[in-house]
Amino acid sequence: MKKNNMTTCMFLLVAVFMLNFPVQAHAGEVYKLGLSMAITGPTSDAGNPYSKGVADYFSFVNDTKILGDDTIDCTIRDDQYKTDVTKQNFEDFLDQGIVFYLNYSTGSTLALKKDFEEEKMPVIPASFHAGNLVDSNYIFLPIASYSAQAIGLAEYVAKNNTGPKPKVAMFVHPSAFGRGPVEDLEKAIAAGLDVEIVEVVEHGKNLDNTAMLKRLISKNVRYVISQTVQSPVATMLKDASSLGLAASTFGEEGKLTFLGCHYTGGNDLVALAGPASENYYWTTSYTITNEPSAGTTAQLELAKKYNRDEKAANSHNYANGMMVAQVATEVIKRAKAKGKKVTQESLYEEMLAMNGDNAFSPGTTVGPVTYSKTDHAGVDTLQLYVVTGGAFKSAGTPFIPEFTKK
Amino acid sequence: MASNRWLATGNYFTSYKEEQRIFFTSLDRTAMCLFIIVLFAWPLFFSVGNKYMLVIDNILVAIIAVMGLNLVTGFAGLISIGHAAFVGVGAYTVASLARTLGDGHIILTHCWPLVIILSGFMGAAFGAIVGLPALRLKHLYLAIATLSFQMIFQWIINFMDFFNQGQTISVSRVIWVTGKVARKEHYLFWYYAILVTIVILAFAVRNILRTKYGRCLVAVRDNDRAADAMGMHPGFTKVYAFALAGFLAGIAGALHAYLYRGVGIESFTLHHSINYLAMAIVGGLGTLSGCFMGPVAIKILDLQVERLSEWASEHLTFAANLATALKPLSFGLIIVLFLMFEPRGIANWWRIAKSYVKLWPFRY
Repeated sequence: MKKNNMTTCMFLLVAVFMLNFPVQAHAGEVYKLGLSMAITGPTSDAGNPYSKGVADYFSFVNDTKILGDDTIDCTIRDDQYKTDVTKQNFEDFLDQGIVFYLNYSTGSTLALKKDFEEEKMPVIPASFHAGNLVDSNYIFLPIASYSAQAIGLAEYVAKNNTGPKPKVAMFVHPSAFGRGPVEDLEKAIAAGLDVEIVEVVEHGKNLDNTAMLKRLISKNVRYVISQTVQSPVATMLKDASSLGLAASTFGEEGKLTFLGCHYTGGNDLVALAGPASENYYWTTSYTITNEPSAGTTAQLELAKKYNRDEKAANSHNYANGMMVAQVATEVIKRAKAKGKKVTQESLYEEMLAMNGDNAFSPGTTVGPVTYSKTDHAGVDTLQLYVVTGGAFKSAGTPFIPEFTKK
Repeated sequence: MASNRWLATGNYFTSYKEEQRIFFTSLDRTAMCLFIIVLFAWPLFFSVGNKYMLVIDNILVAIIAVMGLNLVTGFAGLISIGHAAFVGVGAYTVASLARTLGDGHIILTHCWPLVIILSGFMGAAFGAIVGLPALRLKHLYLAIATLSFQMIFQWIINFMDFFNQGQTISVSRVIWVTGKVARKEHYLFWYYAILVTIVILAFAVRNILRTKYGRCLVAVRDNDRAADAMGMHPGFTKVYAFALAGFLAGIAGALHAYLYRGVGIESFTLHHSINYLAMAIVGGLGTLSGCFMGPVAIKILDLQVERLSEWASEHLTFAANLATALKPLSFGLIIVLFLMFEPRGIANWWRIAKSYVKLWPFRY
């Protein structure tokens, strides 16, 4: 009887071993990630290429076995820019057991901040709002904040302006996303940045800016720094052009020179504003395909591999999505290399360790990605671009705004 | 009254009082009791993820809001397209307390039932004020007046520093007899809290509708001059209809604030007002059962379409862009179809089904 039992047990063990072994030998771990964002609805012009960048890079990671047999399963959900839906999606991702979360809008990032803290979930949003980092340990901005970008633009104005102290107007989105940099720029001015903010305009959905532009000229404003999305900037540029108020050279006297942060520029702006976009100054931390580099070549190849159209392939927001996916992949790779189990805790530790010699260069940005306990803004370096001959071209070399730390 | 109280067949009303009963037969009463027991008991036997619990809680909050909208638009016939603003008034009452006292203040964490009731009264006060134009305006003009309230509300919240310029104002977790409601039980806790509120409010509304005040609402809707001639006060009726709607909306707003642990303007925009109106239309204007069916139908439709679009974008990659547009497309389509083919809403299907059962054992 005993012998029979032993034989049965042995048989079962062998059977289980045979059935399971091939599966265990070849199938790696699946790391769950989640991304909730506006693929449709407001700001989807940026969200759509962003989601494609994320999806394509994770497909590339799985197809080329960058993580060996392990794979990344990133669920991408459309929240139509609605915070309620984002929260719903985030709860769903938590139920699925995600180890890293990618968010999108400023509003939802601020609204879910407490949830991220409670869940100890490392998060990279597509929003570069500096306020995301207040009272937060788990939110990491991919690049320099909107505030740093606006300060960087103001520094450029201060350095390159001729004549008396430059008068600046800010043209911002009527939300936390738009208003965020105003206060920080004012602080930089108080710390010695030599520009004067004459007016802060919160734009509506108006299709004509004649009155505003005339008013700015009457106040001797020479520079307009925008922190909003592309379409209101395009409308403003077209109005300025038709009124003959757009400067043809930087800082031209009696005219307006327009500058803007990440989400105001890119190929979409040129398409929307046409020739009126000429001489528009724009800053971001991403490389752009008009200025070929190893990063942009990789970007175009990735888009080609996954059959994306020209518009998506050349979008700086495609690079934006690709870059956050690169960072998430990199921390998983580093955790694995150290023999750690890939969890949200280990990925958080790896995010904090991404500095000094461990800084990460994804190629899609003009500087390295660095994070630490006290620095949650990834790429500190910015690049200024200007529209010349209907396309954005580099203006000068990458720089780090001096007044962000003051 | 006939001898068998379980069947509607063969029963006759011999007084107005009998006709105004909440439940016509014992079967109705028993079915309702069983239904409520099931609603309270199912979470003890089935476990759903946080996402679905949040969706269910959301549906319950919407039910309270739509009950309010149905009172003013369905029963009193006064079009309101600013209902999300009334819900916002309730939510921002909680947010104002959080801004003034601190989000973890004892009043917000321990006395939350009182805060919810206070929010209801704030909603009622704003409802009564916005209802004043109803004394002079009717139909489309009144709709524009309520729309302007929505716009003013959004503008005030978006531009006032006190309201954090529309950014999220945090609300702390509440305390219950078992202690602080932790994250893992948050959605279940609020499920029960909102469900209890719905049961109380639904019976309250049902009772109002069978009083002279409730009948005034319907009379004013059908013909306000005739109602005036019959001794009713149309002006007062219209104002209290808005106040009642505001009260329910305020309660819904406060529950929303606690459920989401924060208040931001994005949840109380014109889009949300239209959503509430759609729920009321799909459920059935002028019916209490429609207030329950509309939000359930719209939210479930939302979820199913989301699943479908996810499946489509995964398997039909060439139509990925089209798949993401399914959600807004289906929402619009469902409203148009209901307005065209079933303007009385899902509540009418329920009425037909009930009539069939009531006549049993005779043929319908």
